[in-house]
Amino acid sequence: MSAEKSKSEEQKVAESEVESFRKDLGPFVVAAETTRMAMVFTDAKETDNPIIFANDSFLSLAGYEREEVLGRSFDYLMAQPADREEVARVAAAFADGAQSDLEMCFRRKDGGTFWAATFVTPVRDEAGGVVQHFASFVDISKHKRAEDRLQFLLDELNHRTQNTLATVQAIAVQTLRGATDKEVVDAFEGRILALSKAHSLLGRGNWEAVSLRDVIDQILRPFGLKDRRVTRFSVEGDDVRLQPKAALTLALVFHELATNSAKHGALSGAALGKIDIAWQVEPAPRGDRMRLRWHESGGPPVTRPRRKGFGSRLIEGGLARDLDGEVHLDYERAGLVCRIVMPVPRVVVGEP
Amino acid sequence: MNSRLSGRRVLVVEDEIIVSWLLEDMLADLGCAVVGPAACVEKALAMIDGEAIDAAVLDVNLNGQPSYPLADALAARGVPFVFSTGYATNSLLDGYRTVPTLQKPFHRSELADALATVLDGIVKAT
Repeated sequence: MSAEKSKSEEQKVAESEVESFRKDLGPFVVAAETTRMAMVFTDAKETDNPIIFANDSFLSLAGYEREEVLGRSFDYLMAQPADREEVARVAAAFADGAQSDLEMCFRRKDGGTFWAATFVTPVRDEAGGVVQHFASFVDISKHKRAEDRLQFLLDELNHRTQNTLATVQAIAVQTLRGATDKEVVDAFEGRILALSKAHSLLGRGNWEAVSLRDVIDQILRPFGLKDRRVTRFSVEGDDVRLQPKAALTLALVFHELATNSAKHGALSGAALGKIDIAWQVEPAPRGDRMRLRWHESGGPPVTRPRRKGFGSRLIEGGLARDLDGEVHLDYERAGLVCRIVMPVPRVVVGEP
Repeated sequence: MNSRLSGRRVLVVEDEIIVSWLLEDMLADLGCAVVGPAACVEKALAMIDGEAIDAAVLDVNLNGQPSYPLADALAARGVPFVFSTGYATNSLLDGYRTVPTLQKPFHRSELADALATVLDGIVKAT
């Protein structure tokens, strides 16, 4: 049987359409056939978007012969088993009549895969109806591999950081045990753990930005934030995304405030006190500014400490210097109040 | 001391010796008896076979060896366990993600809560 005869009806239709292209558009078709940009056209009149044109670059990228792809559904090119979400994204790209930019994984004839930045755009006839889809592909496999490698290294770094902090914790607790007050050991261990919780959050967010609510959740959970039996905290404010440095510093500050409260304030002893944490974000000349208030009530009467410990030093000095913000600690008799004003990245509406 | 945990025999599987000492101290503070520590899969499997164990704390990565075979062996015997890891908890293999996981480093109260949770689960199930 000759190759001619084995061609399906669809392929013949496809080829005749390309032939009519060629007549109508002459030099453009030659350009499309020979450009280094891989591209295909599909027939929008059929439901499964059969391929009616594939240029040489596409064929060499995907490793197919022309007759192997002509007439085939676009989905056929996708990596198998195709991710259901990916299939849905492609269907949406073809259905919505607008341009779409997708990063997709395709399969090669030899069974391998390649990643391509895929640009799908509808081709309309004179009446405005979508008759074809045009898809172009830029091979980004190399970038994807580099990205995977980077992610691997980042995961390793996070893992090593956490393990190192676990070793520091173990060495400290065992070195200090018996040699000093239990209170000192607990304070040191608590600070290491607060630091590591912030690191772990940052690691999960690939060191880009973390949510203020997540920081509060992580740090205050050991102090009963999620305790369903008693409500000791109220947390109010639209979520804010924090830069890594701000997240680390705030984590340590919340830890110090909570530790202090557990010792002397609203969370101490038999006190049935409460801590209200509330914040607002307001526009400022450069970016946004957050005003946060930590307000304790219901604890024993507050007295100003006679000397500054590491905690209040960190709260007042560290925040101000690290975060370019302002911090005021008010030892009000009814309960400690800590006010923080600091710059935060501007929230872009619609961003997740 | 923690009444729910006191007297329980807890297997410790951890390849970092200094960290395993801290874990032993924490468990002793909670009133548990420590089995092990074991630093590799083979030694731990031998302990699971040969010792009476009420619960276990498994480091997920033992010098590059995952501790999943230990999780399977414990699950087959109905012994509850928790994982401990320096990796993000979402890096656990499918099928093990529902196991309570301690993110290293952790406080003894987190260890106590995790162990109490899995031991309570067993009590309720039987």
